[in-house]
Amino acid sequence: MKIIEKIKTNKSDNNLTEIQKICLHKLQSSPLPNPKSELWRLSNKSKLSTFLDYSVNEKDSKFEIPYPKNYQSAIRFIIGENCQIQLIEKNYSIQQLSENELQKYIKEQISFFKQNENWSDLLNLSLSCKNNILGLKINGSKIPPIEIFSHASSNSLNAKTLVIFLEKNCDVELLQVNLGEENSSLSQSTFFCLKENSTVNHGVVSYGENRSNLLNSLNVIQQKNSAYNLGSLHFKFNYARFEISIKQSAGNAKTNIKGMQITKKDEQISTYTKIEFNGPNGFLDQINKSLADDKSHAIFEGSIIVPKIAQRTDASQLSRNLLLSNLAKIDTKPQLEIIADDVKCKHGATISQLNEEELFYMRTRGITLTEASKLQLSSYFQEIISFIPISKDKWDLLDKLLNEN
Amino acid sequence: MVNENLVKDVVKEPYKYGFVTDIETEKIEKGLNEDIIKLISQKKEEPKFLLDFRIKAFKKWQKMKEPDWAALGYKKIDYQDIIYYSAPKQKEKISSLDEVDPKLLETFDKLGIPLTEQKKLTNVAVDAVFDSVSIATTFREELAEHGVIFCSISEAVKNHADLIEKYLGTVVPASDNYFAALNSAVFSDGSFVYIPKGVTCPMDLSSYFRINSGDSGQFERTLIIAEESSSVSYLEGCTAPMFDTNTLHAAVVELIALDDASIKYSTVQNWYAGDEEGIGGIFNFVTKRGKCLGKRSKISWSQVETGSAITWKYPSCLLLGEESVGEFYSVALTNNLQQADTGTKMIHIGPKTKSTIVSKGISAGNSKNSYRGLVKMGTKATGSRNYSQCDSMLIGDQASANTFPYIKSQQPNSEIEHEASTCRISEDQLFYLQSRGIEFEEAVSMMVSGFCRDVFNQLPMEFAAEADKLLALKLEGSVG
Repeated sequence: MKIIEKIKTNKSDNNLTEIQKICLHKLQSSPLPNPKSELWRLSNKSKLSTFLDYSVNEKDSKFEIPYPKNYQSAIRFIIGENCQIQLIEKNYSIQQLSENELQKYIKEQISFFKQNENWSDLLNLSLSCKNNILGLKINGSKIPPIEIFSHASSNSLNAKTLVIFLEKNCDVELLQVNLGEENSSLSQSTFFCLKENSTVNHGVVSYGENRSNLLNSLNVIQQKNSAYNLGSLHFKFNYARFEISIKQSAGNAKTNIKGMQITKKDEQISTYTKIEFNGPNGFLDQINKSLADDKSHAIFEGSIIVPKIAQRTDASQLSRNLLLSNLAKIDTKPQLEIIADDVKCKHGATISQLNEEELFYMRTRGITLTEASKLQLSSYFQEIISFIPISKDKWDLLDKLLNEN
Repeated sequence: MVNENLVKDVVKEPYKYGFVTDIETEKIEKGLNEDIIKLISQKKEEPKFLLDFRIKAFKKWQKMKEPDWAALGYKKIDYQDIIYYSAPKQKEKISSLDEVDPKLLETFDKLGIPLTEQKKLTNVAVDAVFDSVSIATTFREELAEHGVIFCSISEAVKNHADLIEKYLGTVVPASDNYFAALNSAVFSDGSFVYIPKGVTCPMDLSSYFRINSGDSGQFERTLIIAEESSSVSYLEGCTAPMFDTNTLHAAVVELIALDDASIKYSTVQNWYAGDEEGIGGIFNFVTKRGKCLGKRSKISWSQVETGSAITWKYPSCLLLGEESVGEFYSVALTNNLQQADTGTKMIHIGPKTKSTIVSKGISAGNSKNSYRGLVKMGTKATGSRNYSQCDSMLIGDQASANTFPYIKSQQPNSEIEHEASTCRISEDQLFYLQSRGIEFEEAVSMMVSGFCRDVFNQLPMEFAAEADKLLALKLEGSVG
């Protein structure tokens, strides 16, 4: 594991930023997460070590944006390429975060980090150089949709960091796309801070090529009356982890999450979510879907934490899984940890295959088995895909998924 | 608005089984080493295979670490500060119940356990275990007529050594976990049940465990074997006196069901839970597991857990036989500073196996109540199904309720469904009941009882009534 060796031997290098030094220092004492801990126990060790086997690439190669090119109305960022931005319009402004703001915020976040829970972030921040950090402050409303791309080139590890402040009363649609080329590793950490009354529809679409790897971590802090809607899709990665941590810092906020992961061949994709309510009247509606085929392994672990202060929290979490092959595996573990008594919390989990009765019904109506399965899958996918902003009208994710299935 | 204080005042019923029986006991010295194990084995005049089993388990135990993954916090247990064998002194051999020390009979009488023959009408055969040894087993002759063997495990070792040798440790191997290894090394007594082929046990069997000494641990072992097409219902009850110290209870229960056999195992656990400050109480670390070996066999666990300072208990089913069925119905109530981490494991190995889990957790006071369950579909479990439901009820804003279900599937042609919810006693419902002239306390107890109804329906009748009453008592004063 080249990266780990490098971390271990790294002496303080003058080219490193202060944040990189802090994170490196934290990692040096224990460079790898504890494989026995709940968050890492199911993670494939050899796949993780493959992730860490590429050398770090700070300037990655050019790549094709997988959208129709004539689509103009979105504001597009590519992390690592164009990090200088100053857009001030009548209704809104998008500005780059100053060095000071960025440092202050990230440092504050690091102070809450735990070795196992935030290992992916520590790794990301210790590897991500100044050019690969994009910090944005978004203000206003009627903002055109924003697209942010992260990309990893072949035979290298790319670390990209995104920090976004949504100012008060701001309302925005934002799609984040993580692309991995063949034999690549992408470490992507995203930090969101939603100020009071702000709303974001956040989409995360991650897809790789042959044997690409991804560590994707998302940290969201929601202030009062903010609404955070997340639609996510992860597929075609040899190894991918999506770690979501959401904190409703003073309650009274809304969170909606709809996520999906699709695994094939011998892939392993996992989603870990942790949602903390640090105030009353919080709301959460979460659904996570997995589909595992061939010899693959899909994992979901979601925890909901409701301390005493979080009275009148209303949280629900559902994990729905489709297991399509005899050799595939699915692990799911929804968790509730509750102390407040006046709450409504529930979770559910199901694992099954395609509904045979429905298939039979369609076949009696002359629809072929393949078509019938496609129809079932499309309704299974549609719920999630329709929740991902922007992409739905110009990038037909559903077709892409169905044609590959 | 519900008056919180009123609710808190309602649950302060003292523990009524907290008395100590003043009886002369024979105890060995504190501590645990090979010599102690040899001494226990020698006192019980055990055959060599059992001594070897104990020593092997002890060696494994020495290499193991106490598990720390459960959501429990308790002070470290000093395993050398425990007496591993304590027995009431009595005449060498007892030929009938009349020769049992009357004080002992009185104790069980106080506990409402029908040991004496005049209570025959209850039609329940009882094996009473006092500290480390079994005191009496009733209705033996009648059971023997049907070929049913129901005796203490020490007697079974002497009289049915072949069965013990064949089955002991086959469901819960000595190295299964830390507490099972400890139990395998030092287990003192417990019950043994053997139901021969085609026999439906004519009466419910019951064992009653009583810890009397404050400084000795209780390590009982139960083994139930149901041969082809047989069925049995087994009840287990437990109480202990109030001591300021914590007493360790580490039991192992093994069930084996062959083709078409069914075993129903019900527990009402009411060990002393410690006082309101959390002083004293039983540390209850129990490994219970049933193996559905045969086709269409069925094992059903139902439990009402209201006692113990610490509960660590996961009655499980290994579903090996085709179309075998596993069930788990549980009510766990914690109050004051009690902590419970309990649940089940349903391991589907054979095809067309089915399991149902219904778990109800009620946490009051400052207690902590966690459901931890595992449902696993192996690669051969085609056409298998599982349904789990775990509901938690929180009473007051200091208690915590956690749910940790682990769900694993490697078989696409199987279905797993899991649901969990958390709620509290609804003020609207309370108000409705109170407006109909039902006292506050009664209304609360009615609602708790309604919440647990699914589980109580599964308990044998006499247990269900007891459980309902027990819950009402335990909850008095804690509803907010």
